[in-house]
Amino acid sequence: MNVSHKSIAAATAAALLLLLAACGEQEGAADADASDAIAVKAGDSSCEVATTTAKAGKLTFEVTNEGSKVTEFYLYGEGDRIMGEVENISPGLTRRLIVDVRRAGTYQTACKPGMRGEGIRGDFEVTGQAGAQQDRGGHLAAATRSYKAYVDAEVEKLVPRTKEFAEAVKAGDVERAKSLFPVARTHWERIEPVAESFADLDPKIDGREDVLGEGMAFTGFHRLEKDLWVSGPRPDSARIAEQLVADVEELASRTRGIELTPVALANGAKELLDEVATGKITGEEDRYSHTDLWDFQANVDGSKAAIDALRPAILQRDARLPATLDTRFAELNRLLDKHRDGDGFRRYTDLSRQEVRELASAVDALGEPVSKVAEVVAS
Amino acid sequence: MLFSSTLIGLREGLEAALVVSILVAFLVRTDRRGALRWVWLGVSIAVVLSIAVGAVLTYTTAQLSFEQQELLGGALSIVAVAFVTGMIFWMRRASKSIAAELRGKLDDALKIGPAAVLVLSFLAVGREGLETAVFFYAAVQTAQGGTSQPLLGFAIGIAVAVALAYLLYRGAVRFDLGRFFTVTGVLLVFVAAGVLGYGLHDLQEARFLPGLDVLAFDASGVLPEDSWYGALLKGVFNYSQQTTVVQALAWIGYVAIVLTLFLRPDRETRRDTAPTAPATGSASTVKE
Repeated sequence: MNVSHKSIAAATAAALLLLLAACGEQEGAADADASDAIAVKAGDSSCEVATTTAKAGKLTFEVTNEGSKVTEFYLYGEGDRIMGEVENISPGLTRRLIVDVRRAGTYQTACKPGMRGEGIRGDFEVTGQAGAQQDRGGHLAAATRSYKAYVDAEVEKLVPRTKEFAEAVKAGDVERAKSLFPVARTHWERIEPVAESFADLDPKIDGREDVLGEGMAFTGFHRLEKDLWVSGPRPDSARIAEQLVADVEELASRTRGIELTPVALANGAKELLDEVATGKITGEEDRYSHTDLWDFQANVDGSKAAIDALRPAILQRDARLPATLDTRFAELNRLLDKHRDGDGFRRYTDLSRQEVRELASAVDALGEPVSKVAEVVAS
Repeated sequence: MLFSSTLIGLREGLEAALVVSILVAFLVRTDRRGALRWVWLGVSIAVVLSIAVGAVLTYTTAQLSFEQQELLGGALSIVAVAFVTGMIFWMRRASKSIAAELRGKLDDALKIGPAAVLVLSFLAVGREGLETAVFFYAAVQTAQGGTSQPLLGFAIGIAVAVALAYLLYRGAVRFDLGRFFTVTGVLLVFVAAGVLGYGLHDLQEARFLPGLDVLAFDASGVLPEDSWYGALLKGVFNYSQQTTVVQALAWIGYVAIVLTLFLRPDRETRRDTAPTAPATGSASTVKE
């Protein structure tokens, strides 16, 4: 009896310490600083909640008892399930309740002056996606910052390169324009997922003749490509070139304010590879100039930039995935390098069937691990 | 404003202070002063841990989910009940041995391991320690924000709880030994029953046990928790104004079983020197 008492006691004490220590270490998701807090003024017969809607995630309520009775504050879910509560709020006291609400829906807030009864209820709407993301170590935030910097740098190059290309078109210098065309497009193709998010600009800048919507004029890069390689400069080529510069500048100014999410980065990386698989590998994209491999390389660069930015976050959640991604990227880049020609690439039409197939299977092999990234990052 | 904070401090501090003071009195009366350091160690660990975890919860975004909090509180309470029950029966044996004047045998009969003493003190203080620490930080922050009333009231309440416990200790030390054990034992039975009910209620709130809405009674009108007598009842016996059926049944069951066992005549008393029949002192001997 005595011996067992002692050992039980010691074991219990140890377990409790561990439990408490473990619990204390639970880190939250987003910063719940005081400025995000929802103020609640609890009176003897009132319960004023500053806002009755919030996004899913960590909610912080700052409850101040302005009444004369001790009060409690509850957040109820469906069927009066208690999501969180804070008790013992004596008059004049301010206490904080942090609740992690993961599911959108209608919740209820309640103040209970005198700690009794059903309390003074009010509806509270929670919106947004389920499953607030955990960002231990801030890797996700760092990833979006780093990729945003990459996008900004590419846009910084896209504008002057496009201007140079447009100047050559306007000057009627066809050879120079032809050599500048794939260079300017490289910076566009690297950030294609971001650029395509502006649904009004994308078709104007990068629309292909065969896929334009009803009533849309054929403008932008591909219109000028056709002029340069097929028909020769036309009377309105200069105007189209000016329009292209204006559209690219508009894109640049809009990109500055864009907000990216880690999941968007991961999806973008996958989209770029899909672009390669559906457009570049088939030679459809640059059907007049056959500079598809430039775009191909640029898409792969953009995809890799997004994955590189996410690397610490991926590593944190899946230790083996980054190595797989690295080998597949390296393999694809090695194949592309075989087709380099001076500063650029061989024309798409110069590739053999076999070489196209090789590239296609390398893209597929890379697409498979890249498609896992979004899910890994969201976990 | 000041008064209601005082009551909260008193309520949170009272039970822990009572259990610790009874334990100390018990060790002092049975000449086991050597074990006192384990009491203070257990109390210190609980206080330091509560303050530390309370600080983490207050000043970082770390948090326990509501369910975790309640599961922890509930589990701690139920473990505490086990230890207090153990203590009750140690006391019973002590009173029998002392009544039988078997001083020599006392030490053998009352082998309380240091670890048991330590854990008991730790649980008594730590069970409500975290909640109390978090409340304390909130009071401090409110004080920085302009009103120190809650902090002041809370401090007064804790001080009153400690003073009451000290008075109980003083009285206990002067008491006739056999009676001391009986009275404090009975008191502890009710304390432990309250802790058990409280723990089960926590588990119900965490949805670990069903029946949160099935109330046995709701006395919030007659005996509100925010009145001074309600606070005292809650502090000592974990009275709750809205008691669920599960809570009530656990309380009744525990008291019925443990009190019967505690007060049953000892069949093993081989001596004829009948002990002074322990008058079942009512709790009114406790200074209120």
